[in-house]
Amino acid sequence: MAVPAGYYLALAAALFVIGVVGVLIRRNLIVMFMCVELMLNSVNLTLVTFSRINGNLEGQVLSFFVMVVAAAEVTVGLALIVNLFRLKASTDADDVDALRA
Amino acid sequence: MTETVLFWIIAPLSLGTALSVVVLRNPVHAALMLVGNFFTIAVLYAVMEAQFLAVVQVIVYAGAIMVLFLFVIMLLGVERQLDFGERIRGQRAAAVFLGVVLLAALTVGVAGPYLGADSACPTTAEQQTEPAASPQACRGLAEANADGNVFGVGRLVFTDYVWPFEVTSVLLVIAALGAMVLGRRAEQDSDLVDVLRRERVPAGGVGDASYQAELQQSLEEDPR
Amino acid sequence: MLAEYLPLLLLAVVAFAFVGLSVLVSARLGPNRPNPVKEAAYESGILTEDVDVRQSRFSVRFYLVAMLFIIFDVEAVFLYPWAVTLRSMGWYGMAVMGVFILLLFETYYYVLRRGGLDWD
Repeated sequence: MAVPAGYYLALAAALFVIGVVGVLIRRNLIVMFMCVELMLNSVNLTLVTFSRINGNLEGQVLSFFVMVVAAAEVTVGLALIVNLFRLKASTDADDVDALRA
Repeated sequence: MTETVLFWIIAPLSLGTALSVVVLRNPVHAALMLVGNFFTIAVLYAVMEAQFLAVVQVIVYAGAIMVLFLFVIMLLGVERQLDFGERIRGQRAAAVFLGVVLLAALTVGVAGPYLGADSACPTTAEQQTEPAASPQACRGLAEANADGNVFGVGRLVFTDYVWPFEVTSVLLVIAALGAMVLGRRAEQDSDLVDVLRRERVPAGGVGDASYQAELQQSLEEDPR
Repeated sequence: MLAEYLPLLLLAVVAFAFVGLSVLVSARLGPNRPNPVKEAAYESGILTEDVDVRQSRFSVRFYLVAMLFIIFDVEAVFLYPWAVTLRSMGWYGMAVMGVFILLLFETYYYVLRRGGLDWD
């Protein structure tokens, strides 16, 4: 009756690939960053699915830690993007080298 | 039954919002689509008996992280910046091709073993009475969630995973210090920075030609 | 099991219906007689039609506060499972969370002293 666990895994795989392609084809740093978040989320979905397949909560705990790390990562990453924008008035990935001290 | 219906409603929504993030030109629209995607994933968490994660997903991701994203996008005023030109010829086609290969590999490698109907997860304890038929069968979380999902996750975080938990605190300290330092450095120039006044970019250095021209025009109109 | 979420679904439906209806009804019932003066962008007695939004000054502090908010938001998220499990963990739970909070309060103190939360 229920949905096979593999369907969730396939959905997570598709989301991950969309994130990868997004990072590769977009040049706006903010959008690239959002695609990285997409990838992190798809991995979390995989972890939760496996947690259910195995019937223990370890996957959910790991997923929780991933979310916390993502929050820290976003804080520093966006601070870097704002700094880049101040230097070059740009959020283009090709200008990141301007941040070299 | 409910799960099946819900999955087939949520999964296309999830894929659609994710694709929109990549395809939409306006970063604000992309960010809003990403919020939608986070909500669909939160629903999937709730379906898969991860209630705590579903709530954290909404609070942390949709509530805090995406608000910060939108905040930065609007603060910088980069809504209209187009970034769709290719820097390297054929890059986009190559990226899509690699994506298809990766998708095939992941689907076969990760999802493949669990696609059979015998791996479907019973969601209630009654359905679970009969033992798992195959080693790949999904066991469900009824047992682990006996005291409630939040209790189960909390128990693990504060006992087996107490060391990662404390290290997380250090990570948050470092992130806060990083934000402070990066914020302060910019502040030394002046408290308030006029974005367009700092437009000292070498010709052709930033963005595409139309954006450059637009900036130029706005500078001429208002030569402060 | 999933039936428990029915109120949540209802809430979502009501929320979306409210937004949709408000927009629709105000578009249908409101008189629509635009004229150039009404259309002009206007803010606090200043005509803003030729001031680009991107030329507005922005302050460093706003985004600093937003970022620090995320850090402490995550700290709060850790408190929920802690509160649920505390009774079963006893003093061990207090000690574990004590270390966590202490480390973060140190940051809070530092940020406060460096003026990270000053508003003007």
